[in-house]
Amino acid sequence: MIEKYLPIIGENEMDSIFKIAERLRGISVLHVNSTKEGGGVAEILHKMVPLMKELGINVDWKIIRGDQEFFRVTKGIHNSLQTGNSYVPQGWKETYEKWQSINSSELPLDYDVMFIHDPQPLGLIDYRRKGKWIWRCHIDISSPESEVWGFLKERINKYDAMIISSPIFGRGDLSVPQFVIPPSIDPLSVKNQYISDTTVKRIVMKYDIDPERPFIVQISRFDYAKDPVGVIKAYKIVKNHVDVQLAYVGSPASDDPEGEEVYRKTLAEAGSDPDIHLLMLPPFSDLEINAFQRGGSVIMQKSVKEGFGLTVSEALWKAKPVIGGNTGGIPLQVIPGVTGYLVNSVEQAAHYSLYLLRKREVSEQLGKNGREHVKNNFLITRHLRDYLMVISYVLGFSGA
Amino acid sequence: MRSSLFSKLDEKAPVPLEIRAAYYPPIYTGIRAYTLQEFIEGLKKANGLSIFYHVFHPVFTSHIIPDDLHNDFAFWFRTQLEEEDIADMVSDISGGEPRTVEDVRKDIINILSQFSASRVARYPFSFLSCTPIVYDTGIRVETPGQLLDSVSTMTARGLVYHFVFRRVMGYTTKNDFSNWLESMGLNGPANELSKIDPQTYTDETKLRRDILLVLERWFL
Repeated sequence: MIEKYLPIIGENEMDSIFKIAERLRGISVLHVNSTKEGGGVAEILHKMVPLMKELGINVDWKIIRGDQEFFRVTKGIHNSLQTGNSYVPQGWKETYEKWQSINSSELPLDYDVMFIHDPQPLGLIDYRRKGKWIWRCHIDISSPESEVWGFLKERINKYDAMIISSPIFGRGDLSVPQFVIPPSIDPLSVKNQYISDTTVKRIVMKYDIDPERPFIVQISRFDYAKDPVGVIKAYKIVKNHVDVQLAYVGSPASDDPEGEEVYRKTLAEAGSDPDIHLLMLPPFSDLEINAFQRGGSVIMQKSVKEGFGLTVSEALWKAKPVIGGNTGGIPLQVIPGVTGYLVNSVEQAAHYSLYLLRKREVSEQLGKNGREHVKNNFLITRHLRDYLMVISYVLGFSGA
Repeated sequence: MRSSLFSKLDEKAPVPLEIRAAYYPPIYTGIRAYTLQEFIEGLKKANGLSIFYHVFHPVFTSHIIPDDLHNDFAFWFRTQLEEEDIADMVSDISGGEPRTVEDVRKDIINILSQFSASRVARYPFSFLSCTPIVYDTGIRVETPGQLLDSVSTMTARGLVYHFVFRRVMGYTTKNDFSNWLESMGLNGPANELSKIDPQTYTDETKLRRDILLVLERWFL
């Protein structure tokens, strides 16, 4: 499978992956997370594990188990870390520790390298028997709720290394080395692979978009952090100058009580403009997302708070410039004037949308740069190489 | 017309040059700056690998910054503090031989100390360090001719490791190619290579081209 990436990344890059992996051949690595399906972590591991195996590493992947109460606690931990407010229920520490203990007795924890993903299985470190342990943190921990953070921090510091997705998520109060490894997209997946213009046209027409006229796209949940109302306001300013459409492509967020409220407000802001399309796609609408990103004239990710914002890389990979909020991992992907524009307001978002709609040649150049930027930095092969390097580091194989 | 050292092209060196290559996975240092003053304090505390990462690592095209700026520091001063003058001066800091990351640190602190900016950035500067992961490419250079061929074909990771990393981190006082040429008594091309300042490159192919031009002038 790995050779399928060769035409994309080139021989030098592929060669370096094999060279770094050479020293790791035969070691055992176990990835542990909390779900086999759904979510970005599982999506990455479904690709990453077979790729590592092909490089001669003995990799396995295990899922922890827990009851409803445990997952209520871990959801609370997740929200407390991301928002700075406490969402954990009473007795959360006991529940969390009970399931760490149960899982530790059921999982083989004797691999050379243990890769623990996110907070759910983080506490397994208390049952370490051997090997080097790496905590892979996929979420924003820059402003966590203090009690939850204090509880986790004690355990994080027992690891040999941890990985964050962006420098902005880094912490100044940890003693463990914090590697910065952004997430990645798979260029061969349905969401990112090449699809024909005919397919793009068919799909956007299915959602009543006129493919003959330009359209602005934002692909995000209906969530305050993604500023859907701001996106519509920016569109309205642009619409004063150019005949443009807007496709806000979201998905229902059943676990988000605010989602309904945000959707209602977005709907109210949209009013009766027939060129505003607020779409609710079911989960795993990968082909549709691919089509909207390829068909859109301007791709927006006007978030006011963001995790890494991998939809930006997805769009850049399709050679589309992105207008992105100056937050989270977006500035790693949107380099102003190179791959798109960073914005802090509705007016800025409108200004650069209009600019890109008018200056097609600029848009094309930024798009080309963006694809190159993603090729160099945000593909799964780079992610794989970075994981190999962190493994090399913890095993002491970093020298020649 | 052939150059003066054409006859040396196939002469064997006393010791072959072993070509290694390196990646530099970044590590967050825990230091973050929102203001000029915080940035200066951060720069004083950051380790040498952090200076390397932010000032010299942008030689890789994968480490993207706009073409007219040469390092991460300058980029942040422009985009987040909106201080064009600082950005320009920091961008053009000298990184030529025999300077190390410590010299670069001192120079940047001197530049920044001349300014007093009160703006608070929306997006902070996060100081990153890195840990070099070095691997052997298997290439061995025994003659100047092979050096020419290897510089053309080796991975950019090898080129930067030998031409930039080891010298600016203080493992050597000159780049490895110059040291190796000097071991053969070929001081002319060695000295000319030493004059190339890698800090002002943001594209490894241009650095490679300029190294090759020097070698070509002396050997072909």
